[in-house]
Parts: sequence; structure tokens; C-alpha cells
Amino acid sequence: MPKNPTRRYIMVLDSRKCIDCKACVVACKAENRVPLGRFRNWINAEREGAFPRLRASFDPEQCHHCENPSCVRVCPTGASWQREDGIVMVREADCIGCKYCMVACPYGARFFNEETKVVDKCTFCAHRVDRGEVPACVETCPSRVRTFGDAADPKSPVHALLEGRRYRVLKPQTGNGPQLYYLL
Amino acid sequence: MDRRLFLQMVGAGGLAATSVACPRFLSKAKGGPEPPAPFGIPTSCELCPNKCSVLAMVEDGRVRKLNPNPENPKSRGMLCARGNAAIQQVYDPDRLKQPLIRAGARGEGKWRPVSWDEAFDYAAARLRVTRDKYGPEGTLWSSTEGFQEVFFKNLGMAFGSPNILRHPSLCLASVNLAYSVTFGTVPSFDLLNAKYVIMAGANRFESIITPDTMDLIGGVMERKAKFVYLDPRFTVTASKADEWYPIRPGTDMAFILAMIQVIISEERHDKVFVDQWTLGFEQLAEHVKGCTPEWAEGETGIPARDIRRIAREFADAGHRAVFYAGRRSSWYQNDFQMRRAQAILNAIVGNWDREGGMVPNRKVAKGEFLFLPWDDPKASRVDEIEKAFPLASAKDGAYLPLRENVLKGKPYPVKAWMIYKQDPLNAVPDQGKTLRMMEGMDFIGVVDIAMSDTAWYADVVFPESHYLERTDPIEVMPGIWPAAVLRQQVVKPIHDTRPCLEIAQGLAKRLGLSDYFDYTIDQWIEAEAKELPVENGLEYMKKHGVVAFSEPKYGTTRNAVYRFVTKSGKIELFSERLQEAGHDPLPAYAAPAQPPAGRYRMILGRKATMTHAALANLPWLHEHNPENDLWLNAGEAARLGIRTGDLVEVSSTAGTVRLKARATEEIRPDCVFMLHGFGKKSPWLRSVHNVGAADAVLLETAWDKVSGNAAMHETFVKVVKV
Repeated sequence: MPKNPTRRYIMVLDSRKCIDCKACVVACKAENRVPLGRFRNWINAEREGAFPRLRASFDPEQCHHCENPSCVRVCPTGASWQREDGIVMVREADCIGCKYCMVACPYGARFFNEETKVVDKCTFCAHRVDRGEVPACVETCPSRVRTFGDAADPKSPVHALLEGRRYRVLKPQTGNGPQLYYLL
Repeated sequence: MDRRLFLQMVGAGGLAATSVACPRFLSKAKGGPEPPAPFGIPTSCELCPNKCSVLAMVEDGRVRKLNPNPENPKSRGMLCARGNAAIQQVYDPDRLKQPLIRAGARGEGKWRPVSWDEAFDYAAARLRVTRDKYGPEGTLWSSTEGFQEVFFKNLGMAFGSPNILRHPSLCLASVNLAYSVTFGTVPSFDLLNAKYVIMAGANRFESIITPDTMDLIGGVMERKAKFVYLDPRFTVTASKADEWYPIRPGTDMAFILAMIQVIISEERHDKVFVDQWTLGFEQLAEHVKGCTPEWAEGETGIPARDIRRIAREFADAGHRAVFYAGRRSSWYQNDFQMRRAQAILNAIVGNWDREGGMVPNRKVAKGEFLFLPWDDPKASRVDEIEKAFPLASAKDGAYLPLRENVLKGKPYPVKAWMIYKQDPLNAVPDQGKTLRMMEGMDFIGVVDIAMSDTAWYADVVFPESHYLERTDPIEVMPGIWPAAVLRQQVVKPIHDTRPCLEIAQGLAKRLGLSDYFDYTIDQWIEAEAKELPVENGLEYMKKHGVVAFSEPKYGTTRNAVYRFVTKSGKIELFSERLQEAGHDPLPAYAAPAQPPAGRYRMILGRKATMTHAALANLPWLHEHNPENDLWLNAGEAARLGIRTGDLVEVSSTAGTVRLKARATEEIRPDCVFMLHGFGKKSPWLRSVHNVGAADAVLLETAWDKVSGNAAMHETFVKVVKV
């Protein structure tokens, strides 16, 4: 958890509730005009076993809006940058499409947008957050997998969830400090 | 009656988790008589029958985004992938943009764009010719659920045709009839508060239904209800269940009867409830005596000790245990009786009208627009439903028996077919037969938003405005959390399209039926809004899109004077009405035919992004399912030398298709499965035209004996590598 910022947006995911329905993916497409075949968010499906002993699990993923984002560090133009509230952004005007950030991201969360000719990825719907709304994927999710909130605000529901439940983050060893929290 | 609005409920929990970063939710949480109007234009989704409430964000006359409207308790403040993709229907380049008249042979694809006047004149002339030659009963009017369906149906009735054919006999007629015969009504299931849920043949996490899908997640994941699931396929629902049994298809009734047998023989039923409210318990006890778990194990393949344990656990959860009814019940020829067994199992544990049990639906009051009535049709129905299926709903008809009769020309010829919002070539089993039926028609008119396969074979195509481009009647959504919703126009039609009411009026005018359609949509909804349980109903609906009740109300029918709407006034475990109609008064099990060697039972199902054939062409949904394939158990596939990605030929007595194979562990060895919505004939559905295969080509004609509901799991297919 981040130390002492005034605001720090994070997402808590309860993957057990994910039914792989793709509502979040389509809502993101609609909200952010993501081109066909490209995704700002996705669902990792794992299936294993032999009939009839089978298992499947679903983990939604997107940009982790890391504490120490390697994408920002490697960007030669400063196009990849981090807001004070933790949201990692790409400034379109400054992006030269060199794709260093895509290589640097341990989560494969970035893609080159052929339509805008710049690197693209999840922004936590910063434009919605700035209006006081939640990201489109969070709002639309039928099974309420996603909780978005301010980790610096003790009243935020993300706070209560992380206090009350065990959780993990993906690839903590990279040192990036990912801010998508998966409840166990 | 409790008439507080849903808004209090929003404050009480439910959506609170996501509301903190979202002031417009917070402001509503305070409650009070009228909440502030939401952002966006409220309307009601049309991508499936759930009618979820939506807020449309419009910029420069274009719908930019659809967001869930949290004011509707039934849609639980969410919008699924289908609902989110609806914008793409409006701006779909494949959409129908103006009326069309066929210029070449049927199916040849030569169309002449015409004015609305010409389309109306042409269709009305052809309908008049049919009426003069064969009488009004020579016309068939078929449609699928929709808010404007009423206008289409009314046109058929005003025209004098008895042959109004709706979708239930392809979908849920048998389950509805079974619960009606037992309880006098079709209840909802309180999955949010249930403690023990058994689901069979309802893949609720992939075929999303509100609020059941959301509540099951809430009930199972948050409140730790136990969840037992039966399905020949390992679905997402199976992956979330505590126990999944790949039951032998068609044997669910054996499982249920064995549960009843255990519960009764161990006296675990709710004796007080059974004594007071049910009829025929003694006969039932006698009827299930031989239905032991050991017997059921032989039928279902589920171990007897598990059946016995599940029966005990179910009964011990008492009124918080439910055997969920599901929705689509077009499976087997004994489907009605299987659903009856379910209903009876639910009844004997006393879960009727209790929290966490089955709850009779409540409704939000709504007014009616009074229009000029027409004469009843003189002829009887061509499907002879009153004779063949006396208990079934004559106003909905029975699709497959009807098609048989029309093909034979019995009892009279039907030569014109009007179709609204329906694609019989893909929705009805045995596409070849449906095509023959179409070929036998002198005239076919289709109202749709896209060039479906059926439209492709029509004579005239009337392009309807998209749901975001029109205002529809107010619709009541009955349930535990009942609501009334308005679907109001969000943007102007972008092409030369019209709502169904105006299409009906255009035809009515030329058929001399104008008097019956002498009103506007505004007059219609004004009359409906007058009785809504809010001040200034219409204004309220336009601002909020929905009126709903806040809290469930349990137990209204559990009082001494209540009479169930059955012959005896009680819950009929034993049904005299069925006996009189020549059917088993108690559900009698007959083992289903099993596929002969070298053949597989074809089973159907859905995916969350692809529930209806109409959705397959939407790019945002299509990109998750670019092509359908044939699921085949990996062991069987290896035996046949088939690997994932190989092209296979699948054939039944109805037809043959080719598609790619998927060798998977996630299906029983005796079944195959393919997703619905592919292999379209219409080249104007570019994403799915000739991509994959259509299940309707393979499915054979079979129906449930009591309800006439299509039986779509009775087809055995042969699979060979091409």
C-alpha cells in the first residue's frame, strides 16, 4: 500500500465472483473506443483437469497502475507518466510509438493503437474518475468483481476489503508495486 | 402493499460498494419520494428479454455509451456485455436502412429499395389476395418477445387471423405450464437468500438472466449458500458450483424423483405445509416408492450416496432450499413432466412464498390504453392446439406442430407469413423444413433491424428503428423485485426506419383496419403511466426510466383464506386436470432413448456474449467468439482421430453441417455441443455468413407431449473427419 499520498486510486478484484462474461471488456471498448482486436482489459481464464475432474478460474486484468511503474521509467519522451493519484497515463502528443514501455511492462498491459498511432492502455477511466464516477468496467460488472477506490481514504470500500480479506498482487518480484489487489 | 421506491434499497446495501467514488449514487442513497434524475437518457435494453435499465450518454446526436441505470432493482445496477454492445447495432453498417422488395428469386439476394408507401401497398395487396382466396386464417403472424410486439400481434388479430404464433413454444412453455399446473402461477426463485440451490439445465452464469445470475453470485459467493449443479457440460456455472455432476442427459427427472423418495421415506418434508397447502401427497408417496437413489444412479450416473446426501441436505435447508426452474426448457419430449417433478420437490420442502424460496411474482400496477376491439377470428388455429395440447397457451401457439400442419396444408392452407423480430430459420429446429415452409408461402413479410436469414428469404423487408431510436410501450417486469420500465427514444433514427407501431399502422391503413390503430405511441404510454404508483407517472418515467419496489414481500399467499389458482385451490402434487387431459397426474419417468453406437446427443447452450442468433454479428461480441466449433469429448475425439481445429462433418436425419472440432475434457463422451448464432445464410451478416455452422440445420423435429414445447435435445448426430 502506498505511503501518505493525498489520494491513491487502486482496484480490488474478487476473482471468485468473475463469470468471464466480458461485460467489463465490452464496456471498456465502448467507453474508450478501443479498436477491434485490441483490449485495455481482459480476463485470464485457466482451465485444467480431465473429465469429470475439472477446474476453471477467471482473473480479470488490466494495467496495474504500479507504484513504481517501469513503463514510466523507460519512456524516452515522458509520454508515459503518473498522476499524483497514482493513475498511470500516456500523453498522446508526446508518444513517439517506440514501444519501450510495452516491453518494460511486466503485465503486457499496453498495446500499440493503430488508429491513434500511439501506445494505449487502461487509464482507470481517469476522465470518469475526475467526474466522480467509477471506471466503466467497475460500474457495469454484473457480479461485482471489481471495487475501485482511494486507498488513502479509510472510508473507501477498498480499504475495508483489504483490511478484512487476504489478497495477493501479480508478479510482486518486479518491484513495480502493482495496484490491482486480488482477494484470496 | 409496500410502495417505497428502490432507492432506499440502494442506500441500504447492494450498490453501496461501488458508490463511494460516485457522488450521483450517494445523493440517491438518502431516499425520499423522488431522487434526482440520473445522468443520461434512461431507457430499457432490448438485447435479450431481461429489460434491464440503461442510461444512454448522447453526444452530438449519437449514442456514445450505455451505462447501467442503478434505479432498477431487477437489473441490479449492471449492464452485461450484450447490453454494452447495443450501440453497435445502431451504427452497424450491415443494418437494414430502407424498405426492400425482393427483385430476384427467394434467397437470390436481389433487392429493390423502395419507399415505405410502396412497401406497404405491396404487402397489403398480397395479404388481401391471400385473404380473398383462403380467408384471414390463410395468414400466419409470428413474433418474438418485445415491447412493440403487441402492435404486430394486434394487426394479425384485427386482420382476423387465428394464427398468432409467439416464441414460448421454442423457449419456456413447458416450464411455465408445469409450474402453473402445480401452483396456479409461475413463481420466481429467491436466489439471493437461498441457502441451498440445485440448478439443472440452466447455465445461469453464461446465459445471464437478471436478477438471478447476480443473486446467485451474491448467494453463493457472499452468503455461502451451497450450490449443486447438473449439466453434461463443464460450464462456467459448473466451475462455480460446490458440486458438479455431469448427469446423463435426459435423466434429470430420475434424480428429482429419487430426491423426493428420500425426503418422503425419511419424513424430511415440511409436514405442516404439506398438510395445509398441498393435494395428493399420499399418491405422491406411493408413486415414488420405487424411485430409490440406487435406481436413479443407474439412470443418471450420479452415485446413489450423493443423491441421498443431497436430498437430505436439501430438505434440511427447508424453505431456503430451491431446485431452480431455469428458463429455456425446450429439451425433451417429457420436459413438462420433468418440470412438474421439480415443482413438486420444491413444494414438499415448503419453500413456497418464503425468504430464500420460491416467491410468487408481484407486479407494478400499470394502466391500459383502450383501443377499438375487433371480432374474434372465425376459424380455429392451424396448429389445432386446443385439440392437441389443451393445457397449453392457445394465444402463443405451438411452433413445431404448426409447421407440420402448414406443410401438409391441414386443416387448411396457410399462404402468407408475417414475421416480427424473429428468425425462424435459426430459432426453430430443422432449418430445411422451415425453408420448405417458406417456399410454400405466396407471401412473406419480415420486420427486423438487420437482414436475418429469414429476412433474406422474404418478399418484403420492413426495417424497424433500433430500440435506441424509438419509444416503446411501458413494460411491467414481474418478480420478487418488480419494476415497470419505459424504453424511450434516445436518438433520432439514422436511416429510413420506423417503429413497429408505425409499420402496423401503415399496413392497417391499406387493409381497411385504421380504426383499430388510431392512436400514437404517446397516447398509449400516457394511458399506461396514469396508473403507475408514482406522482406524474409519465414525467417520472421519462426522467428515471423505471418505477420499482424496494423490498421483497414474502408470505402474502400464506394465509388461511388464500386459494391457489388450481382446481382444488391447493398446490396440486397430484393433478386431476392432467389426468382429465389424458396425461400422467404425477410425473412418471421414462428413460430417454440413448444415442446408438457411433452417434452423439446434440445439446444446446449459451455463452454470456452470444445468447441469441441476432447477436452474433456485433463486432464487440463477435471478437470473443469469432467462429463456433463442435465440442467433442477428448477421448471420443482421439478414438475418431479428430484433433482440435480439424474440419468435421456433423449429420442428423435433418441435415448436415461442417465446422471445426474442439476436442475437450469439458463435455460428456456421449454428447456434442455447438454455440448458437453461426453459419448464417444471409450475406448481410458479414461476420457470421458461412462462418461455423447453424444448430438449426441439425436439430430434428420433436416436441413435449403436454405443452407442445420444442424438444431440442432429442437429436443424435454422427461426426466424421472431413
